[in-house]
Amino acid sequence: MTDDTGALGALLLADARLPTGGHAHSATLEGATAAGLTADRVGEYVRARLATTARTEAAAAVLALRAAGAAPAGAPIDYGPVQAAVAARTPSRPLREASAGLGRGLARLARRIAPDAPAVAALDTAAAATPGLRPLRPVVLGALGAVLGLTEGQTARAVLYDDAQTVTAAALKLHPGDPLTAVRWVLDAAPDIEESVRRATAVRGPRDLPAGSAPLIDAWAGAHAHATRRLFVA
Amino acid sequence: MPETTTAPSTAPDAAPTARRTLRLGVAGPVGTGKSSLIATLCRELSGELAMAVVTNDIYTDEDARFLRSAGVLDAERIRAVETGACPHTAIRDDITANLDAVEDLEAEFAPLDLVLVESGGDNLTATFSPALIDAQIFCLDVAGGGDVARKGGPGIGRADVLVVNKADLAPYVGVDVERMVADASAARDGRPVLAVARTDAASVARLCDWVRGVLTAHRSGAHVPQDPGPMAPHGHGPGAGHGHGHGHAS
Repeated sequence: MTDDTGALGALLLADARLPTGGHAHSATLEGATAAGLTADRVGEYVRARLATTARTEAAAAVLALRAAGAAPAGAPIDYGPVQAAVAARTPSRPLREASAGLGRGLARLARRIAPDAPAVAALDTAAAATPGLRPLRPVVLGALGAVLGLTEGQTARAVLYDDAQTVTAAALKLHPGDPLTAVRWVLDAAPDIEESVRRATAVRGPRDLPAGSAPLIDAWAGAHAHATRRLFVA
Repeated sequence: MPETTTAPSTAPDAAPTARRTLRLGVAGPVGTGKSSLIATLCRELSGELAMAVVTNDIYTDEDARFLRSAGVLDAERIRAVETGACPHTAIRDDITANLDAVEDLEAEFAPLDLVLVESGGDNLTATFSPALIDAQIFCLDVAGGGDVARKGGPGIGRADVLVVNKADLAPYVGVDVERMVADASAARDGRPVLAVARTDAASVARLCDWVRGVLTAHRSGAHVPQDPGPMAPHGHGPGAGHGHGHGHAS
């Protein structure tokens, strides 16, 4: 791995073509749609997530990135506190499992591109504090961010942008509409994304991680987990 | 939702190494009988081989429910994955969900001999990545028309075996099975083509023998996964036949 991968890494992590399983996720838009959310409110749904669950994930990814960089040379990296904090702030079991599933795909990538990096090796013990749960998506994203040399801002923005694009891409499958309109939803959310980048990078530690839960999203995700004829995992 | 998030103590995410389990994909267009073919394989082989199945659907679990209701394999050995409405992506461009399901089944029911991965019924161009499966069946049926085999495509041309399914229906749809098999054999440069009808025990036996042969070759190291690739050799009008793996320059 060269040292100059940060900018490219940020693009890679934000790219829907990254083969880590994201294409089968809707960021709960499928559940929201089943509950009656209409196409004209998808933009609002994007912004609601950016201010709540996505902000928590972005801050957790920043903390994981910091944990990977903070350990003195030779000392073990410990993602445990971040993993426990983000799990505790994800009250919906289906959403914890979805995050763990996405983390699994990202971890497979991390182990392939940098199997010997301490930031990647530490993923093996990241979930010790959360029995039954693999390392969650933001934890693995932080590890990947460390391997790729991302800044905290790049890491947070990659999480937030991916969240918004997951919704808009799923909207094109779930609702009638013009794909170009979906690009407008993301651009319109730019101030929300940047505000959440600022909040996420200002987080001081795992205990300070914002608990940006969204009860309706949790309820929709719960119902979706029991739905038949699903297009998306969650 | 099944508990799929427990991390085994070993690292299952490492690059592929020698495995006792043969991962066998079944691809082919919608309605050609992939689920039925898998049910037949389970019925015939589950007595001698430890098996599991992963299904991909447009709508998650239709095929998994069909297979479970067929009673040919324990229900917990049949798992469905969501494909985000992109079944071709899930078996080729981003195989994460399928690889997770295959690894989970292999860990939970170890030692497995055979995992069947059914693609979501897609089109003639969808084939499995060799990073997901060791060998693949491409399934056509006589009811889709006798000329489909001649049209070609990566699966028709280069899958490990081409099945011409529902051969027993040929008289009812005006298709000459022998001609269709001959066309397919010509398109495949001698790779195997099997006409199969689930009501024809001899044809089912030939299919099972083929699977046993691939499993043996896989275990001995003689079988190397082949990628049918995104493009098949194809022609552009009379006399212009050529094969290439890249886009058109003109």
